[in-house]
Amino acid sequence: MAWSKPQIREIE
Amino acid sequence: MIGPDDIPYLPRGVRLHFDRVRDTWVLLAPERAITLDQVGQAILAEIDGARSFGVITQALAAKYNAPAEEIAKDSAGFLGALKDRRFLELQP
Repeated sequence: MAWSKPQIREIE
Repeated sequence: MIGPDDIPYLPRGVRLHFDRVRDTWVLLAPERAITLDQVGQAILAEIDGARSFGVITQALAAKYNAPAEEIAKDSAGFLGALKDRRFLELQP
């Protein structure tokens, strides 16, 4: 798996 | 901004959890949750409350065969966002 900028998404 | 000597940890009540319905990793805190991608989960899996951010970024650089500077920059932004939301703390 390649490195990529991590993303987060809030669960409302 | 989190520095190489900082030691991050997940505060009491915050934990990593694999959500089988969403088929993704989530970070759970009391009454709050965020979903993570694979890289975010990999970063958090390295956090043990004992190793410094510098050591963690070196481990991730070896694991992903990517430049440590890029990993440190991306990880610091990610962990800073979690800290702002109180999903993460730094050892005093």
